[in-house]
Amino acid sequence: MNNLYLIFKNLTRNKLRLFLNSVAILIAFLLFGFLGSLKNAFESGVELSADDRLIVVNKINFTQPLPISYVNKIKAIEGVKDVSHANWFGGYYQEPRNQAMTFAVDAESYLRVYGDIVLDENSKKTWLTNQQGIIVGERMASVHGWSVGDRIPLSSNIFSQDNGSNTWNMIISGIFQPANPQTDTNFILMHYKYFNETQKWGGNNIGWLPITTDDPSLNQSVADAIDKQFANSSAETETSTESQFNKAFLEQLGDISLIITGVVAAGFFTILLVVGTSMAQNVSERTAEIAVLKTLGFTSKRVFGLILSESLFLALLGGLVGLFLAGFMVTGASQDPQLKNMLPNLIMSQDIVVQSVVYMLMLGFITGFIPAWRAMKLNIIDALNRN
Amino acid sequence: MNSLIRQILAVVGMNIKSLPQRFWTSLTTMLSIAIVVGVLLAFLAMSDGFDKTLQGSGSDDVAVILNAGSQAELNSGLSGDVVKIVSNSPGIARNEKGPITSPELYVIVDGIKKSSLTEVNLPLRGLSLEGINLRINVKIVKGRMFEPGKNELVVGTSILEQFNGFDLGNQVSLGGVKWTVVGVFDAAGSVFGSEIWADYRAIQTQFNRGNSFQVVRVKLEKPGDTSAIEAFIKADPRLSMDVSTEKKYFSEQSSGISALMYVGWGLAIFMAFGALAGALNTMYTSVAARSVEIATLRAIGFKGIAAFFGTMVESVVLAFIGGVTGTVIVFILFDGITTSTMGASFSQIVFTFDLSVSAFITGIKLALVIGLVGGFFPAWRASRIPVVVAFTSST
Repeated sequence: MNNLYLIFKNLTRNKLRLFLNSVAILIAFLLFGFLGSLKNAFESGVELSADDRLIVVNKINFTQPLPISYVNKIKAIEGVKDVSHANWFGGYYQEPRNQAMTFAVDAESYLRVYGDIVLDENSKKTWLTNQQGIIVGERMASVHGWSVGDRIPLSSNIFSQDNGSNTWNMIISGIFQPANPQTDTNFILMHYKYFNETQKWGGNNIGWLPITTDDPSLNQSVADAIDKQFANSSAETETSTESQFNKAFLEQLGDISLIITGVVAAGFFTILLVVGTSMAQNVSERTAEIAVLKTLGFTSKRVFGLILSESLFLALLGGLVGLFLAGFMVTGASQDPQLKNMLPNLIMSQDIVVQSVVYMLMLGFITGFIPAWRAMKLNIIDALNRN
Repeated sequence: MNSLIRQILAVVGMNIKSLPQRFWTSLTTMLSIAIVVGVLLAFLAMSDGFDKTLQGSGSDDVAVILNAGSQAELNSGLSGDVVKIVSNSPGIARNEKGPITSPELYVIVDGIKKSSLTEVNLPLRGLSLEGINLRINVKIVKGRMFEPGKNELVVGTSILEQFNGFDLGNQVSLGGVKWTVVGVFDAAGSVFGSEIWADYRAIQTQFNRGNSFQVVRVKLEKPGDTSAIEAFIKADPRLSMDVSTEKKYFSEQSSGISALMYVGWGLAIFMAFGALAGALNTMYTSVAARSVEIATLRAIGFKGIAAFFGTMVESVVLAFIGGVTGTVIVFILFDGITTSTMGASFSQIVFTFDLSVSAFITGIKLALVIGLVGGFFPAWRASRIPVVVAFTSST
């Protein structure tokens, strides 16, 4: 008899149980695929941030300003290649709920420090010469349906102009792409000069300084040199790599990864219990049948293989459908505008798919191993006697 | 009728007593339901705890006035002049010194979270002693209050428990200037307990704020009524501000985290289907294993409905034990755990997991639903087992 045929017959012997088990496994992998993608989306900002870029912030806290004179002072420090600066604008579009992440930056140096912002030469030229110009990330432009040349009102929930209005009129000079498709482009860059001259509070302050060094190996010494230079001044600095900075920021939310891992583990454990017991039942109900198979000359090894394959098939059947549905859900969720803002990188990566398949095989193996082992060790005479 | 009840009781008794025979399958059903209930309750305890902190913070007697559109204290900016103008608005309660108001500053400083040893944002509020009096739940529990004009800090009890660097007597360096922690205050579980307070003049000087503020809190003449102030602001072209009661301000801030509750429900419902599959499986097996027994009962005159209830009760009992187990696990692991997350004001809010009675009841209800649905179909089958099965040889 064909092995596949036997496995199929055994699987479909109790159709209700097959259905119930498949549903349980399906749910486990639906959760895994969806939550795993969420977790990756949360962490992607850290993984993608460059290690060779340093961020200089005020030591009190990164929301505290630094004087603009620091730009030239830092430029003079040995090992520093490029220095730019940025301010948080607190931007929103039309309604405060529609947050539009906007930085007021020194355009030329910012593009040099962030080489992963891809902007065509034409747009770059237009932007650098137009004070009211902004450049918009591809993703943000597509969310709002903006194109080059559009005039848009951009409001701030922090700043206002001398005339009391908190809305600035901007012209889109260009739309930029990321060098790496996973990099977030859900933000806007505006000119610091325009921002500083029109906002009421003034002050020539900057928010933070992104810098590059001549060589990544110099990072630590450059960071130390910067912090030392401003130690005991009224605006002390704290310099870290961009990835350290992003990671620290993310950790402020609490341990999201831990929560997600906990939930997925709980879900998997539940399914393991449900499917494991059910497989054990399946095999113990078939004791007599297995004894007959063995009497017919099936080797113990073959019996072992048959039962193990049965549980592997079951795990793959439910698991792949669940994973497929998870992919569907991830695609759907990534279209939600609010989620798009929070988690711009919500996609189901290849890693998740590979991991899922590995877990399916593990689930099949764990739930099938003991019943298969028992069947292999089954003593024919004892088994037939039991009836 | 009486005999039917006796029949049902007899069958239920048999089912329950025979549970140990199906020990492992029953145990797995129970455990899987326990896990589902546990996940739901953990999320509910988290969102309830967070809500409780924010809801407990806002008073209906106090209004919060922010720069228009800024939504959070951190973003807001108000010059000393407009603060002076709005302080004279009608609708604000007065005492012998005039209107009761508290212009405040809200800046963020770094602290170290004890549990992860990472840097986090902590709110530093600059206010006056009058402002502290507005918060009736606040009292100094160690040390003393800061003295006006001095570089002194007082910290909430949650700051002391959760973060390093702000112990009583510590010197804290902010921009090259040393500040001393002189006191610890208790804020009755409110958000203020996760704040650091100092005199507003000292903050204005240290953070180059001139004569500006970020928020004005005022005591309302009539609790909950901000209409007079709103009308006053609208009538004066120099003022562009948002007013809301403090209670409303904080409850709007909690909406983001309340989403956690929905996440918890979503996960629990998904996982409940998995557990339901397990429960159905177990109960079908239980019915199949006892089909001869059930048919025999039928043969000696028991009604089908008695068999139905027997299976049904077995399933519900298992689910109930599972639900209670899940609750106990969550209670032991999570209830009372204190942690912090970044709130709408961009700084840490400390809150405590709070497993409420209503969450417990919700969890048990979820378990019972799984038990009822998981029991119904197998019970239906049990009630329809034909008598003839009793006379066939064992399967």
